[in-house]
Amino acid sequence: MTARQAVRPGGTIETLKGAVAAEWTKAWSVRSTWWGAVAGVVLMAAASAQTAIYIVDANTNTDPSDDRGVTAWGQVAAQAVELAQFAVIALAMLLVTAEYAAGSMRTTVQWVPQRGALLAAKAVVAAVVCGVTGAVMAVTGALAAWPLLGSWGAVSATGLIGDVLTIAVYLAVMGAATVGAAMALRSAVTTLTVVFLLMTVVPASLSATDLTAAERIAELLPHAAGGAFLRDDGDPYSPAAGAALLAAWAAVALAAGLSVLRRRDA
Amino acid sequence: MIELRGLTKRYGDVTAVDGLSLRVEPGTVTGFLGPNGAGKSTTMRMIVGLDVPTSGTALVAGRPYRSMRFPLRQVGALLDARAVHPGRSARAHLMAMARSNRIPVRRVTQVLELVGMGAAADRRAGALSLGMSQRLGIAGALLGDPGVLMFDEPVNGLDPDGVRWVRELMRSLAAEGRTVLVSSHLMSEMQLTADRLVVIGRGRLLADAPIDEVLAAGRRRVRVRTPRAAMLATALQAQGASVTAMSERELEVSGLPAERVGEAAFAAGVPLHELSPVEVSLEEAFMELTSGTAQFTAGGAGSLA
Repeated sequence: MTARQAVRPGGTIETLKGAVAAEWTKAWSVRSTWWGAVAGVVLMAAASAQTAIYIVDANTNTDPSDDRGVTAWGQVAAQAVELAQFAVIALAMLLVTAEYAAGSMRTTVQWVPQRGALLAAKAVVAAVVCGVTGAVMAVTGALAAWPLLGSWGAVSATGLIGDVLTIAVYLAVMGAATVGAAMALRSAVTTLTVVFLLMTVVPASLSATDLTAAERIAELLPHAAGGAFLRDDGDPYSPAAGAALLAAWAAVALAAGLSVLRRRDA
Repeated sequence: MIELRGLTKRYGDVTAVDGLSLRVEPGTVTGFLGPNGAGKSTTMRMIVGLDVPTSGTALVAGRPYRSMRFPLRQVGALLDARAVHPGRSARAHLMAMARSNRIPVRRVTQVLELVGMGAAADRRAGALSLGMSQRLGIAGALLGDPGVLMFDEPVNGLDPDGVRWVRELMRSLAAEGRTVLVSSHLMSEMQLTADRLVVIGRGRLLADAPIDEVLAAGRRRVRVRTPRAAMLATALQAQGASVTAMSERELEVSGLPAERVGEAAFAAGVPLHELSPVEVSLEEAFMELTSGTAQFTAGGAGSLA
């Protein structure tokens, strides 16, 4: 048995490779991942169609103040992702919370006892799955907007590619951040509630107060950061600043997840 | 080999495992016994790094589990057969497991055949019976061909054929030179499977000895029938035995072998109507060990009274 018990060589990269391969296999061997991806695409088509109809309505009604003018197909998708993202967030969340619900997190940490490598693997897999799904969603959203926008629509190859990549990156970051939050919170209900509040209710209520301080706080939340990154309108800050702020939120969520994973018994 | 050094786990005021030190040697099946709540599962969870010990260390093959790159190649553990995503097939579960530790994927088919799950491999884990889940758990433990194996209550939910199969599997794994630690509350099962017993109660080590010794320790009691019971009791107590009066004419003696009891009776001039060593099953030995607070360890002259 001595040969078998000898410690095999292999660095952290080897551990990470194995962990990513395992998480990838796990992600695609449950239905929730497929459902999440399909739901994301369907939701995106519906939300993009609705957004396109609104834009045409706003442009053709008697009130000139709400006119949006000619809008790029991809920008319609970038707006619609605000709703459609929740299917992808649920997909990423279930990669973690389903394991706590079934108790299989205990077997998972037996396979990969290095907590950092385990979290990294889950975040990478969530980012890739959500990012690729996001790219498909973005193309679907743009195509759904096209016939509805009619002459109010515009498309350029570089513009569309830019929007598709932006949406893919946005959802990849959201997927990784959700994995971190789910690792820290462990339960599906809590995770979904926290993410939903942070992405919709809290920024909306803060903005509705009309207090400058509350609005400033709302601008720092991931919802505003994501919006600034997705929509190329410089409101309330540049896409680069939005991307940086969103990445910072994801880093905080992952750090919280790692801290809980390291500290608490599985 | 598994080595525990002063392993302790406290949850608030409750001490689940209390200064456990022992070595589980290769080439033998070690039975891990204790009543419910004795700390067996907590100990096993600490060995594979699921729980962090409050103090002390647990080493497997000389290393803490959490420091291993590919632990499944060194340690196979079945702790909770139901801890599998209910929507994932048995095969996909093992595939992910193999990939995590860079174990060749063909091992998956091999272990599925080995545990007799070939036909159920593509069923969703949630649709498996408890017995089939146990087989899947055992397949997972064997996947990395590890030198150390741990099974928490592996025969739960298995039919008699399955129980016999697990028994033979444990024996053959140990015969191949592997370290095998099996927890159970079924004493009769341990009597047939284990070479050595580790008994814990309330988180503390009660016995760590070859199974024959644990049985022999229980067998040290002797029943005596005599019309002059009180006189014999005094004579035996003078020799350090502890004596329980079962009735007016019947004594149960522990701490002295039957020969010495007979000689003491002869010296005291007490007639004996019966002198017999009390045969105990492992079950009874276990009950005695866990009901008292006395410690019995290999080589020590511990008393069970």
